[in-house]
Amino acid sequence: MTRNTEAVFILAGTVLASVGVAMVEFAGGGWLDANVALTFVSFALAFGSLHVSFRLWAPNANPLILPIATFLAAIGSIEVFRLDPELAALQRWWLVLAGVAGAVVVWLLRNSGVAVLRRYRYLFLAAAIVLLLLPLLPNAWPIHGATVNGSRLWVRIDLPFAVRAVSFQPGELAKVFLTIFLASYLADRSEAMSTVSRKVGPFSVPEPRHLGPVIVAAGAAFVVLVYQRDLGASMLLFGLFIGMLYAATGRGFYLGTGLVLTAAAGAAAYTMFSHVQTRISAWIDPFADYTGAGYQTAQGLFAMGSGSLTGSGLGLGRPDLIPAAATDFMFAAVAEELGLAGSVAIITAYAFLVAVGFGIALRSRDRFRKYLAAGLTILIGLQSFLIIAGIVRLLPLTGITLPFMSYGGSSLLASALIAALLGRISHEERT
Amino acid sequence: MPALILNALKILFLILIFLFLWQVALAIRSHIGTSPSVKRSKGGHDLVVLRGDTKKGTTIHLRPSGHTIGRSADADVVIDDPYASEFHARVETHDGGTMVHDLGSTNGTYVNGRRITVPTPAGKGDTVQIGKTILEVR
Repeated sequence: MTRNTEAVFILAGTVLASVGVAMVEFAGGGWLDANVALTFVSFALAFGSLHVSFRLWAPNANPLILPIATFLAAIGSIEVFRLDPELAALQRWWLVLAGVAGAVVVWLLRNSGVAVLRRYRYLFLAAAIVLLLLPLLPNAWPIHGATVNGSRLWVRIDLPFAVRAVSFQPGELAKVFLTIFLASYLADRSEAMSTVSRKVGPFSVPEPRHLGPVIVAAGAAFVVLVYQRDLGASMLLFGLFIGMLYAATGRGFYLGTGLVLTAAAGAAAYTMFSHVQTRISAWIDPFADYTGAGYQTAQGLFAMGSGSLTGSGLGLGRPDLIPAAATDFMFAAVAEELGLAGSVAIITAYAFLVAVGFGIALRSRDRFRKYLAAGLTILIGLQSFLIIAGIVRLLPLTGITLPFMSYGGSSLLASALIAALLGRISHEERT
Repeated sequence: MPALILNALKILFLILIFLFLWQVALAIRSHIGTSPSVKRSKGGHDLVVLRGDTKKGTTIHLRPSGHTIGRSADADVVIDDPYASEFHARVETHDGGTMVHDLGSTNGTYVNGRRITVPTPAGKGDTVQIGKTILEVR
């Protein structure tokens, strides 16, 4: 595997995206038009710039990250185009922006390496907190939060000269910043945290003061849940904290405490908040309130069911009947049009990405890089798991995006940053 | 466009998807699976892999000039073990006896479960642990 192989894979993924868009147009009775070419150009620009940045400033980076990312983005973009060509036009811009942003990150870290991130950990923590709190700004301000589908996790900026407000989801970036902070924090403390000093019954328990971070993590996740009414982000953040603690210390105790706290917080949230209750009842029986709370889940189930083994074919199903198909329910839309075969392919691709990510973490000699790679991998893996599990009703539905695939600039940007950071970390292991 | 062609295109597209993933899988395998280089000569001791990611039972025939063992592709004996250092240890044969040297590895080299700090002799039946790979002298 060399950089050239990576380039071939990226080219193949780019062609895959264009072929898919062309198939959607055939299905609609159309013929090849500018959309196919524009898809090709946007993918070539986005992943090409990441690829070139690896070539120039991280020549030893793992060559498997970008091919998998291109693949996922290709399937996602095809489905976004199929659902709404106008959204797809925006998505192309987001994709190019995200790719260039990732390349810029690789360039910024070219001399200092990721180690420089470790030094500014409290800056990242502060930035993450500010980003998480941004959506709570009152509506009257020029920069303000917005409530979409009952969750307050969007920020709109009203520009006097622009026609439409610029909006973004700051939580997407916040989780990457938090991962950097946590990796840096744990790199200093993991040794102390993994020593077991006392035994309570059959459990070996670390010093009580090392429980502090776990409690803080649970608290932060709970605050997000209460004030932003966002079940997905809250579960994702808490899972990330616990996963990284476990990765850093290797102590099952943290996993156990995490599960207990999740159960406790879940029970508390269930009794306290109506939106959590709605989510749970829509999970247990979406057809009980088919026209109401269960509608989205039920439509997703119908879509996946009608997809059957090989799907309806691109552009031939009705994934447009699922609410939020281009973002949260991307998986159901793909499952309808590409069937079980397509959905298995997607899950396989995520599994590959997670395997590559943990491989990078395992091979890292430096603690910070190890934990950062593990954390970023946990982030991608957990996020795709939570939303796919929500769609297939394995877990209650949590409205989060599918990394690399869903429509959305913030989500794509965060995914591209993760790819760039993983590439840089793997580069530093081989020099 | 007729449904038949669209159907054929759909299957073709799915085949393309899986072809892509298959190639990625092959690339992942070649990327992580550095196969152990097995070298054969006559006389002396053997090192046999008992446990680890390197294939169990892989036998390394020790030559008098010695071997470096490690994760690096440039080591004489390449072991596929994330806990091993690039050049982890050196095994030398002197007058029919085998000496194990630790090359300043991160996770240490263990002979019969004890971490070594100086070159340590290992006879038949002794175990040498590098990372999580365990080898036995035979």
